[in-house]
Amino acid sequence: MRTPRINLKELEKLKEENFRERLEFIEKYVEWMKKSSNKTWSSQQKDLID
Amino acid sequence: MKITVTEKKIEFKKELNKLDRFVIEFTSLLNNLKMQYVIVSGYIPILFGRSRTSEDVDIIVEKIDSETFRRGWNTISVGFYCINTKHAEEAYEDYLCSGISLRFAKKNTFIPNIEFKFPKTNLDDWTLKERREVVLGSHRFSISPLELQIPFKLHLGSEKDIEDAKFLYTLFKEDLDMNLFRDFNRKLKTQSLFQRYLQ
Repeated sequence: MRTPRINLKELEKLKEENFRERLEFIEKYVEWMKKSSNKTWSSQQKDLID
Repeated sequence: MKITVTEKKIEFKKELNKLDRFVIEFTSLLNNLKMQYVIVSGYIPILFGRSRTSEDVDIIVEKIDSETFRRGWNTISVGFYCINTKHAEEAYEDYLCSGISLRFAKKNTFIPNIEFKFPKTNLDDWTLKERREVVLGSHRFSISPLELQIPFKLHLGSEKDIEDAKFLYTLFKEDLDMNLFRDFNRKLKTQSLFQRYLQ
């Protein structure tokens, strides 16, 4: 089976972009937490963890 | 979010998840034993709401003598077991005193577990001495100061660690002792990571 040519630089760039997007999400998540009641954010965290 | 942060104490309430309950159960035993300890690393962002979980919780415990350890072992063994060994003497001599962590889990389980270790570095000694008290409803336990924890996460450097640092910094940036924070960033050589990802 022939496999596609892989551009490692391109993948590295995508990995960094994905990481930056996750950091941006974390910033938005904390902004939301700060505006929410403790019960609201922690109930959602509990659902995720449990 | 309602949270009260003072120099030595962080107080808040939350709906406890299974990992919180696990930590509370174990640290209650350490509190009853009057052992000095500090929770470090991955559980700290989870405690404050990070949307991930962890298979282990790292706890640095003051260096204690073998007799004190044996008393602690007997107390802990009522609800937990040591994954590494069944023998207290071996746990103390061949693991803790040799710089190897013990892992304690609830009986009939493997995860989550507590990684229980003695201090190994100056940073471990410092974090144990300068630990902060968390008051979580009616429970109390000790965590590492965030001014160290955030730069240390950057120092560890994996994507998960940098995300944890981002979470803690965004949540607590108005409450940090910035002189202390900058000093740890300088000593751990994490200023460029801080500027690149956290600011």
